[in-house]
Amino acid sequence: MSILLVLEESGGKIKRTSWEAAAAAQKLANGEGVTAVVIGAQTEALATEAADRGFAAVIRLEHPLLAQYTADGYVSAIHQLIDSAKPAYVVLPHTYQVRDYAPVLATRMGQVLIGDVVAIGDGPTFTRQLMQGRLNGSFKPTGSGPYFVSVQAGAFRADAATSSASAPVSTFTPTLEASQIRTRPSEPFRGSAQTVDLGSAQMIVSVGRGIREAENLPLIENLAAALGAEIAASRPICDNGWLPMERQVGSSGQSVAPKLYVAVGISGAIQHLVGMKASQCIVAINKDRDAPIFEVADYGIVGDLFEVVPALTEAVKAAK
Amino acid sequence: MKIIVAIKQVPERDAPVRIAANHKSIDEADHQWAMNEPDAYALEEALQLKEKNGGEVIVLSAGPERVGSTIREALAKGADRAIHVVSDDLASRDALGTARLLAEAIKPENPDLVLTGLQSEDLGLGQTGVIVAELLGLPHSTLIVQVEKTDTGLKVKRELEEGWFQHIELPLPAVLTIQSGGNKLRYATLMGIKRAKTKPVHAVAAADLGSAAAPVLTLEHIALPSKQKSTQILPGSAKEAAAALVEKLKFEARVL
Amino acid sequence: MCASLPTLAEPQHFSLIERVLFLALAAASAWAFWRRFGPIFNKILHSKKDPGFSLAPIGRRVRDFVWEVVLQAKVISQRPLAGIAHALVFWAFCAFALVTLNHCAQALSLDFLAPQGRFGRFYFWFAAVFALACSAGILGLFIRRFFVRPKWLGQISPESGFIAMLIFALMATYLAAFYVAGTGWPGHALWWAHTLVLLVFLPLIPHTKHLHLLLSPFTVFFSRGGFSKIPPLAGDEDFGLVTGRDLTQIVSLQAYSCVECGRCTEHCPANNTGKELNPKEIVLGLRAYLNDLGPQSEEPLLGKYNSQQAAFECTTCGACEFQCPVGIEHLPILVGLRRGAVNTGEWEDSHGAKLFLALERGSNALGLPAAERDKFIEKNALPIYDGSQEYCLWLGCMGAYDPRGREIVLSLVAIMRHLGITFGVPRKEKCTGDPVRRLGNDLLFQQLAESNLESLAQARTKKILSICPHCVRTIQEDWKEFGAPPEVEHHSEFLARHLPELNLVSGLDLPHQAKSGPGGSFVSGHDFSRAENAQTMTGALAPEVTNKERIVFHDPCYLGRYRNVYDQPRAVVASAGELVEAPRHRERSFCCGAGGGLAFLGEEGGERVSHVRAAELVATGATTVAAACPFCNTMFRDALTQVSESRPGAPTVQLVDIAQLAARNLPHETN
Repeated sequence: MSILLVLEESGGKIKRTSWEAAAAAQKLANGEGVTAVVIGAQTEALATEAADRGFAAVIRLEHPLLAQYTADGYVSAIHQLIDSAKPAYVVLPHTYQVRDYAPVLATRMGQVLIGDVVAIGDGPTFTRQLMQGRLNGSFKPTGSGPYFVSVQAGAFRADAATSSASAPVSTFTPTLEASQIRTRPSEPFRGSAQTVDLGSAQMIVSVGRGIREAENLPLIENLAAALGAEIAASRPICDNGWLPMERQVGSSGQSVAPKLYVAVGISGAIQHLVGMKASQCIVAINKDRDAPIFEVADYGIVGDLFEVVPALTEAVKAAK
Repeated sequence: MKIIVAIKQVPERDAPVRIAANHKSIDEADHQWAMNEPDAYALEEALQLKEKNGGEVIVLSAGPERVGSTIREALAKGADRAIHVVSDDLASRDALGTARLLAEAIKPENPDLVLTGLQSEDLGLGQTGVIVAELLGLPHSTLIVQVEKTDTGLKVKRELEEGWFQHIELPLPAVLTIQSGGNKLRYATLMGIKRAKTKPVHAVAAADLGSAAAPVLTLEHIALPSKQKSTQILPGSAKEAAAALVEKLKFEARVL
Repeated sequence: MCASLPTLAEPQHFSLIERVLFLALAAASAWAFWRRFGPIFNKILHSKKDPGFSLAPIGRRVRDFVWEVVLQAKVISQRPLAGIAHALVFWAFCAFALVTLNHCAQALSLDFLAPQGRFGRFYFWFAAVFALACSAGILGLFIRRFFVRPKWLGQISPESGFIAMLIFALMATYLAAFYVAGTGWPGHALWWAHTLVLLVFLPLIPHTKHLHLLLSPFTVFFSRGGFSKIPPLAGDEDFGLVTGRDLTQIVSLQAYSCVECGRCTEHCPANNTGKELNPKEIVLGLRAYLNDLGPQSEEPLLGKYNSQQAAFECTTCGACEFQCPVGIEHLPILVGLRRGAVNTGEWEDSHGAKLFLALERGSNALGLPAAERDKFIEKNALPIYDGSQEYCLWLGCMGAYDPRGREIVLSLVAIMRHLGITFGVPRKEKCTGDPVRRLGNDLLFQQLAESNLESLAQARTKKILSICPHCVRTIQEDWKEFGAPPEVEHHSEFLARHLPELNLVSGLDLPHQAKSGPGGSFVSGHDFSRAENAQTMTGALAPEVTNKERIVFHDPCYLGRYRNVYDQPRAVVASAGELVEAPRHRERSFCCGAGGGLAFLGEEGGERVSHVRAAELVATGATTVAAACPFCNTMFRDALTQVSESRPGAPTVQLVDIAQLAARNLPHETN
């Protein structure tokens, strides 16, 4: 069976989630070749980057109207490619962009996207999480295909393996009209820099009384910088004026639910817990093994934060 | 502006998760039901648009009779009327089948805007709104945090990964899927509930909207994930624990 | 009688002109009185009828009337000196009823109190005693208001001064009559002086606060009774106090009865910490509304006359309602105003909305998944109530989810296990609804009350025991509107009953006991010198010998003022150490700041109530603060740490719940 893999780029480079999807595609291919697709108005560099990653072929899906992502443009272009290449499976990384266009594409071909897959089993069957991660469900596509599968970030390990053989690169130019494209996107921009919007932060490093003095805050700042995280604090820190009130997480501050919440030197009083309990992954660092924070944490380190935090900062930097 | 908000009723968050004997569905025996939270944000966005631009907000929901309570909640929060697509076997449809039902119910209304929540709290596919857009032939955008009406249509703010955003302009009519947290949700009030009693709810049988095609995606098996949520205390020296933590965050929790 | 005492005057004779003049003036005075009082009377009468009002039980009303009005008990007990002065003036007014009638009747030769007759002579002297007392009283009050000028009385009101002088004049002219012969022009002049003062006084009564002279006896008689009695909503269009049309007769009567004494404001924790809320101004705001717009107006009550912000700063501690000498019930008014704002969606507060949404979608006020409660129950092997146990132990939101609340529950569980008392926790528990009830969200409250009542009934629950006074109050009183709640008791009441079994003997002067160990510190743990005594005490090891730990008890509002429970928790504290009282204690206890749903709302303005109270508790010199409410406990935790940090060198003050005190000396096997 032939597998088409859509690679996504950011800032001119292929994103890590795409390489993870590639690993999934290879598993699905089970030895047979995977064809990778790069999309845009100028895809030469992307194709070069993909060429030696062990694919059977690389296709440059190129058209001036694909310079910026639009659902209409991408769907039409990929649809035409699929009609030409006739793959059995189309594998994509489960990114915001893919969630925006892949369901349209699948619908146009009478299929349903099997989205956010965390595992591929025999059959093949595709495992997705249900009930907010409390259950796993195995799904099987039927119908004539092609089947569309998007892969959850981090579900598969991106192979760093490069192959000596360079895959053949070809270009496919779809037919697109400007009138087809109904949405007009602007350039991406950062959320406003002035106000602290902890609510939309993906990662947060939060500091509590354990830090002891304001002078020790740079420790936390370094960790946050390494993670690309926002800094937050429990109430006493803000009360002391060490951090502004907008950074307070808790019942009288902000409620947050980031992907990652690192609670440093925070005991876990209820007023704080209610503000961050919904975080997807909670890490607690505290020297008191009985601190209530450990009850809600997914991972905990019982130790002196003045040792653990610098070590963690280094480890994070090394891993990036 | 005539806005239709598609809302799903899902099991309450505190509902115990028990797998049915056949391993193909969840035992719903003593579940309590609630409005899907992202849909609550979609409803809030619709109500705010109506408050700013005038018009009408219609709630659309598909499912068995129990869905009525969620519809009433939406009416209590300020929607003007509702459409209930009555179906007792919604679970047998896939996302495409469900979206077809909704699209058929929406077509005769000719709305200016269709809103749904980004994804549901039970299946979490996040596709229904997008599929509806395609079935209706309308432009769409997803992960919307802000909506503004312009002379030419809409200007929306879309969330991108890692703290980036972008504005998108699109014409009306259109479909948007709304991200949670963009607005502050309003609470249900006594006054709202009392007023809701007189608002019309139009019930239409699913069968009347066209027979269901065979699903192209089936749920074969449900199981508990092998790893349950429990606190993992990472032992060792500061350096060892830190290294172990980063490993876990990258590959187990997949947040790095 | 001795010759030096004055004699009573002879009855006077009045010419026709005088009689006509008198009648004309009296008519004018009565007309002026009615001109002011009439509209007020009508406004009260035309206010909405109180739903569910009934005169029965009349006994309670009569009792309250006698206690509060006739005996002036509240007035005196809450502010003794000023209270007695006022009581004297009041009793004088009562005593003077006959005298005044007789005085006016004299002009028409219809007088009935003959000064030479036995009864008449007795009565005039009787009244004279009161006149002296009243003069002293009114003088004292005048000095207080105009020279001492307590903050609570507000701005100086010249009108109060004038009225005080009129009263004084009335007494003076009465007493002077003893020294002046009835016949002859001085007697006449005195009679006319007294009469004119009377006729000027009458129309002044309905002017502002002096209306309480007429109204307050009725206000006390017609009050709702109980404490913080929140009336049910009536019908589909009733959302609480939204506009003038929602003001009921009782509320209007109360608004017009305000004496402006300021006792309510004096004890208000919000007002004392720099917030806008002023309970007196809330009531006067309603009065001003009624004066300007009347009870049929559609203008919102929260707007020009009262601020929404102030209404939502109230912790519902009840110090205001508790103090009011004229029977004004502030709490139903405040909650009513909040209802009007919340039930209509007018109140836009992000923390408030978060609380409501958490309870719309979940089971507890903290927004945490119910699985957390289940985990706690499982981890500590707490039995589930199934109708066979004696007590249903209600965990409440704090007991089930808050780490400190859980500690309190576990101490109580250890005690119950030690005592061999069977108990179980409800399988499913939703928030009792206290915060949403006090914030005025009737939709949510009804849902929570009904859901809980149903699940408790299904489990055949007979008796509930709770660690939280808010839960106790809400279950016992507020749920009544939606069903019949089971019996419920606070753990202080339970512990006090079982104290003898807990062997909390400590700090007593026993003969061979060392009062302090080496270094002068406490001897903690077991004192083996008393080992032989240990064998004679059933079940317990030798009690902790401490150096009489000084423990200050903080009365929770919802246990003290709301439930009248003061002694039971003190019994527990006194058996564990030396009981110390805060300056403001028992019914004067100063709120911790958490009530009224405020524990779930955002930052408060001004000083933090909890910090003010914590500082007061620490200043008593106690080393331990004993709480009996998990909310007080949470509020003081941070506050005490901060207060301690500002006193370097002083020992850190411990914070415990009385359950933890009572469980201290349990044998370790059952802990």
